[in-house]
Amino acid sequence: MTVDTNVEVRKGYDRVVVPAPGGGTRSLARKQFEALPLRERVSYLIEGTAQFFLDGQPISPSEAMRT
Amino acid sequence: MSVARKALEMTQAAAEAIVQRAEGRYEAHRQEIFRATDRMFAGLMIGQWIFAIFIALTFSPYGWQGKVKTVHMHVWVALILGAVITSLPVALAWLRPGELLTRHAIAAGQMLWSALLIHLTGGRIETHFHVFGSLAFLAFYRDWPVLITGTVVIATEHLIRGIVWPESVYGIPNPEWWRFLEHAFWVVFCISILIPSCRRGLKDMRVMAERGAELEALSENQWRNSSVVERAAADPRGDR
Repeated sequence: MTVDTNVEVRKGYDRVVVPAPGGGTRSLARKQFEALPLRERVSYLIEGTAQFFLDGQPISPSEAMRT
Repeated sequence: MSVARKALEMTQAAAEAIVQRAEGRYEAHRQEIFRATDRMFAGLMIGQWIFAIFIALTFSPYGWQGKVKTVHMHVWVALILGAVITSLPVALAWLRPGELLTRHAIAAGQMLWSALLIHLTGGRIETHFHVFGSLAFLAFYRDWPVLITGTVVIATEHLIRGIVWPESVYGIPNPEWWRFLEHAFWVVFCISILIPSCRRGLKDMRVMAERGAELEALSENQWRNSSVVERAAADPRGDR
């Protein structure tokens, strides 16, 4: 049995854009997003207001949550 | 009530429920670890008791009385003191698994077991390894205060017994007064690595629970969107 070592390891996301408290949006690095209270993150995901990016490219939330 | 306000309230209620479930999963996981570790220690303590009686019957008489095989005092010490040390932690593990008191009683009991084994082997330095093994086992709880309890118990025990009966701790009658500090230093060295490891373990558990909550939230969002599509498809005029 051989193992394919060329399989691309997905990074998930590295940046998220979420609504800012005073209106508009704010861009957060992954660590900053993960440091938000869980309730706030969950609310963004339920509302679908969080936009996820990987290497500057938008990705779907379900793709972002893979890793 | 406006539609926007109602939607906001629904989102808040759903978010609250998801967060509560995540918290529940995290706590359930912690309890599972506590109970499993309690059970492990209950078995270990009984095993140590049997082992202590065995070494008292074989090793200790040689250690203290040359090669004369008699029912030495150590056999009774292993039997009776071993039962005393074992009984409370095992009873708590059986009757109150997962509770704070249980794991601290187990930590104290396990360190007293180290002390008893050290005594039974005549203060052999090799038996002191039992202390470090026990600390590593206590880290299975991922509850760092348990390690502090264990450290305080063994350091206090070494201090007192080092003054009262130094041979039984260090195997020599007149060790330096600060010998217990040297032993305590290595224990602190050990837990200084184990404590961050316990905290990291807890953090990983929380991340797992939160990741579950995020996936649940995502699923809720998809369900809501699919419901809107279905409602729109069901209404041919497009009125909402």
